[in-house]
Amino acid sequence: MRLHRRSLTGLLLSMPFAAGGVRTAFAQNDDAPSYYRQAKIDWRQAAGKSLTIGMNKHPFTESLLPLLPQFKTLTGIAVDYLILPEDQYFPRLAADLSSQQGQFPVIMTGPMRNWEYVSADWIVPLDDFLANPKLTDPSWYNLEDFYPALIAANRWDGKIGGGVGKGSLYSIPVMEESYILTYRKDLFDSYHIDVPTTLEGMAEAARQVKKNAGIAGIVARGTPSIASMGTGFISGLKSYTNDQWSELNGRMQADFDDPRSVKYTEMWVDMIRESGPPNWASMQWYDAMDAFAAGQAGMIADCDFFAAGYEDPAKSKIAGKVGYTTLPPGSEGKTYSGLWTWALGINKAAKDKDAAWLFVQWATSQRTLLEAAVSYRNYNPSRISVTKDPRVQKTMGSWGDGSYVRTVEKNLETARVAWVPEPLRTRLGDTWARAVQAIYFKRMSASDALKHASLEVDQVFKEAGVTAQ
Amino acid sequence: MHTKAVRRRPRPGRFLPYLLLSPALVLLVGMLYPFGLGLYYSLTDYWLQFPSRFRFIWLDNYIGLFNRPLFSRAFEFTVGYTLVAVTIQVGLGLAVALFLHAQIPGRKTMRALMLMPLMIPPVIAALMWKIMMDSTGAGILNYALSFIGVGPVNWLGSPHEAMISILVIDTWGNLPFISLILLGGLQALPNEPYEAARVDGASPVAMLRYITLPLLRPFIILAATFRVMDSLRIFDVMYATTAGGPDDATTNLSMMSYEYAFHWYQMGTGVATAIVLLAMVVASSYVLLRLWHRTADGAAQ
Repeated sequence: MRLHRRSLTGLLLSMPFAAGGVRTAFAQNDDAPSYYRQAKIDWRQAAGKSLTIGMNKHPFTESLLPLLPQFKTLTGIAVDYLILPEDQYFPRLAADLSSQQGQFPVIMTGPMRNWEYVSADWIVPLDDFLANPKLTDPSWYNLEDFYPALIAANRWDGKIGGGVGKGSLYSIPVMEESYILTYRKDLFDSYHIDVPTTLEGMAEAARQVKKNAGIAGIVARGTPSIASMGTGFISGLKSYTNDQWSELNGRMQADFDDPRSVKYTEMWVDMIRESGPPNWASMQWYDAMDAFAAGQAGMIADCDFFAAGYEDPAKSKIAGKVGYTTLPPGSEGKTYSGLWTWALGINKAAKDKDAAWLFVQWATSQRTLLEAAVSYRNYNPSRISVTKDPRVQKTMGSWGDGSYVRTVEKNLETARVAWVPEPLRTRLGDTWARAVQAIYFKRMSASDALKHASLEVDQVFKEAGVTAQ
Repeated sequence: MHTKAVRRRPRPGRFLPYLLLSPALVLLVGMLYPFGLGLYYSLTDYWLQFPSRFRFIWLDNYIGLFNRPLFSRAFEFTVGYTLVAVTIQVGLGLAVALFLHAQIPGRKTMRALMLMPLMIPPVIAALMWKIMMDSTGAGILNYALSFIGVGPVNWLGSPHEAMISILVIDTWGNLPFISLILLGGLQALPNEPYEAARVDGASPVAMLRYITLPLLRPFIILAATFRVMDSLRIFDVMYATTAGGPDDATTNLSMMSYEYAFHWYQMGTGVATAIVLLAMVVASSYVLLRLWHRTADGAAQ
């Protein structure tokens, strides 16, 4: 169990050692307090209060920790935190949210998770905080600086089967990810492997890498959970079907066993079984990312921003040897990537919601997100101004000789939240992912496994009373 | 008012029994309340996520278990794992106990060393095993096996191997406990039957078969009882290594209950699964403890 909990005092003590090297990146750091004080609000209105934030183990989290002392100095609010790996974070969070203890006033969430929490009435809309002049200076905070598509992804009107981008804003994005194909340019060059433009080509490239370089041709997430379905897999499937297919049909029935989905799943699983790592079925996102960064695989179909780690020589053995391209498009030549933003939201049971909002506002302010990106590699930026910062441009622009930025820009033309909005997405995705494992281990044929999973999801939707609206 | 209060003040000794009993009472309430609550929840339509659906639905959760694809697999694994694990662990434990009971040099040191696994928290031990069982090249087990030309073994990444790996980790952690009980039993055995057998010229195997094992029976049943209960509800090893996978191959009823309750917010089904498991634990330990009483009484007569 990877769990670390430190008080702010402990963090302050460890700061000079942990972050001494990178802090020089912000030479003008001393002007930080004056920057925040330009906001026409009283930052110290909740001084003396304390907050505990529940956080998922993630590069964003790592980038925020060294900045927390600034928040304490600015507001007088003490911050404690609990960081858990994803498969423990969400159950722990659900326990707190459902028991309405308000243990974590500020939570790390995002579009699809919000659908679960909004249906259960566990989190609050943020629009009132944004509109309250006592709490927010709109011209200083500048919500318009966020990419509109990312703000839209965090809005939902509560309608099952639709309504994303409408209604209340439930969380503020701190980063953005879409899903691309990242490959080892050095290996592809030396073994004359073509950069794949079809699913068949991807399987062939994986085969070639394995044959020639003796390492896994491709790594991917494989745990039997929603986390394994939501990135490379579903984005590839959406592309393969030319965005003509969804996991739920108009009557909110699961459609995993659609012939196109069956075909895609068979090809994907065959590729992983033939050229993937032996421990695919237990790989979390960080296992797959670490394996690729350690030079143990030829390709990874996952988050674009993992590049920040791959291109960091301190963490990666393959910095400068990586190429980036979109996932293979379908027959109509377009890719349809999924989209996710980690975002900060506020627990309905939070005792000091104003203090919680001050934290969310500080953490998502232009200055904090800029420093998180420049000094601590939190990518991709959710604010336009952060992306445009010359230092950010220089860093991102260097990845893959510019292919990173080109690929992400192209990807974002069509990327959107891949899932149909409904409150049982985790249950649905976990069931689906289990079917993929059953296929991988040949316990069932692809069509049988996906058929059974669809029926199970339909049954659960019926039990929960979730129907099309 | 004042005088009345003084007059009615109880003598100090009157509440003393209750005071002394209070820890036990607190404990009883602390056990009965969650159990009663769990039993009640297992009879309700309880979703963490949809509080408004909460209502009493009698046995629907239990009946519904038979339609859950995971339930039959988890049930089979729970029972199968318990049978295999207890047989192997008690058998090995007996062998270790006999070995340590023999008059061999250094046995005191070995007895002390044998207890080491008991001093490591099971989750920590499982995490250590997980690292050792890495199948991508960093795992020390595969490295060691490579010298004798075996492997690489996909310890935790493949359904059958994962079941065996769980058994290995669980056995490593619990063998000392079984050996300790059986060693205690061996040391408590009377000497006379052995002396008589030796005079009659019985072989060591015959002495083991006709004297040691029958006399040790109460201890074997006791060790098996503890292990049956633990194996039925084992959770920590899976949680820390396979999380019930791959392909749900190591999902037992405990893991299933956890999955339903905490990942899927289906509390009613999750708690019903836990109650079924509890019933299995209670039933099997009842049978085994009756057996133990019978053998213990038989031994005493």
